[in-house]
Amino acid sequence: MSISVKVGSVNLKNPIILASGTCGFGRELSEYMDLSKLGALSSKGLTLLPRDGNQGVRVAETPSGMLNCVGLQNPGVDAFLETELDYMVRSGAGVVVNVAGHSNEDYIAMVEKLDAYKEKIDALELNFSCPNVKEGCMVIGSSPTAIEALVSDLRRRTSLPLWIKLTPNVTSISETAKGAEAGGADAIVAINTLLGMAIDIRTRRPLLHNNTGGLSGPCVKPVALRMVHDIYEAVNIPVVGCGGIATYEDVLEFMIAGASAVELGTITLVHPTRPVEIIEDLAKYCEMNQIDEIASLTGTLELWR
Amino acid sequence: MKEEYKIKLVSKEVLSPTCAVLTFYCPEIAETAVPGQFVNLSCHFFLKRPFGIMCVDKNEKTFSVGVRQVGKGTEQILEAQEGDTFTVLGPLGNGFPFDDVKKLLLVGGGTGIFPIYFAAEYAREKNIPCHVVNGYRCKNDAFLYDRFSCVCGQFDVTTDAGDLGVHGNVMAYLSSVPDEELTDTTVMVVGPGIMMRKVSEWAKAKGLTCYVSLEQRMACGIGACLVCVCKIKAEQEGKEFVHKRCCKDGPVFLAEEVIW
Repeated sequence: MSISVKVGSVNLKNPIILASGTCGFGRELSEYMDLSKLGALSSKGLTLLPRDGNQGVRVAETPSGMLNCVGLQNPGVDAFLETELDYMVRSGAGVVVNVAGHSNEDYIAMVEKLDAYKEKIDALELNFSCPNVKEGCMVIGSSPTAIEALVSDLRRRTSLPLWIKLTPNVTSISETAKGAEAGGADAIVAINTLLGMAIDIRTRRPLLHNNTGGLSGPCVKPVALRMVHDIYEAVNIPVVGCGGIATYEDVLEFMIAGASAVELGTITLVHPTRPVEIIEDLAKYCEMNQIDEIASLTGTLELWR
Repeated sequence: MKEEYKIKLVSKEVLSPTCAVLTFYCPEIAETAVPGQFVNLSCHFFLKRPFGIMCVDKNEKTFSVGVRQVGKGTEQILEAQEGDTFTVLGPLGNGFPFDDVKKLLLVGGGTGIFPIYFAAEYAREKNIPCHVVNGYRCKNDAFLYDRFSCVCGQFDVTTDAGDLGVHGNVMAYLSSVPDEELTDTTVMVVGPGIMMRKVSEWAKAKGLTCYVSLEQRMACGIGACLVCVCKIKAEQEGKEFVHKRCCKDGPVFLAEEVIW
């Protein structure tokens, strides 16, 4: 019985990846879990220069989830390479580095810097989907042709696997996924947060000081699951499912829908030991159900005709 | 390895229709918590709710928090009955630094009086002379009055309504304290932002070291999500502030470092 999976050329000891922005670089969660048990950990979204992120209120609770507008607070790619990358490598989890630019030039500069450390990195996750910064990111990620052009440029600059994290805030995520595939992406990660809003009826102002924020948590799971299914049908590269996963059953749903691996995020903020519990539950499930390879579940969905 | 503990409510002391002290059995937190730290407590909604620890009982292996209703989460927590189960993360954050404290002036307001009570108890244990000044809205709101009277050498209160202690806010009292009484005093404040700001300005003018415990809307409480940041003066030249995590880098900060 094996719960190891492959995302293209990347081998993971299990399908569980901690999602970018919910686990920093692993240091805080290492107090609650043995990071080496994880399939991988995706770093906080990095930008070329350090960012303070948005000011004021950054979080609002929703039914079964939350809105956030952190705004990519991060130490910048140079500080990451200096102080965080080796920590992630030593943690024993697979190393996925999340890259968020404000322009094509930003992505190019960061990918070139990171390529110099390719022996320490398993994959680059290109964040084309942060809803909380004014420029770049989600703007690029909304256009299939812009994605294709940028990915094919970045493809020439690194041999590292390129995973493209897509925004759900588009008319057709299949089309943006196809753009990424056409540009030479190695995998699609879906989905980033859904753009949302919460209002204080007393002050008639948005609760979040960025006015809008990204919705995540169990409330988005059905949307994410449908999108993973759509993408799996549309492209031939692997899909990493992400959005509201909270239990091992959720992981199985995403894999059946077409995910080769999954990312857990918001649930870790509420139950920091949950990712490791889910890994144990997946192994038990496979054993009890005589599933030799968990990877064999990927894309086994049978639709009603 | 730290854990998310499953805990039981062992007692609920109702202070008012919207406020209570809840006591939980949890040996791990009772053993290790220090004043200024907090717990992140589950409710029926998605995120946990952070509460400053009010006291621990190492013999009974319990810890207590003061809960005041501010929203639906706290409303539901206040409806809990003895025996109800919760999950909790904690103790979280950095407590007040007590090393080198010779004399203590504790200032509390709102739900800040609960962590201030923990600091007062701790000061008594460490034989640190301690003066507590709490600001209340009115006499009926003067929670823990008797307990504070027992636990610290000097206890003074102010009320907005003027029906107990000095009429006005804590500044009405503090501004009348003669300088000679303040020699060697460290100030610790927990309360509404405006109160902490006023007290820290006063402490600065008097040349006293002052610590505040900041409050922010939180999610994880362990420093992973970055939603609860506060503005702290930057050491780096040319930079006005840095965003520090209230939950992990705080909640206790040196008052002079805070940008209000």
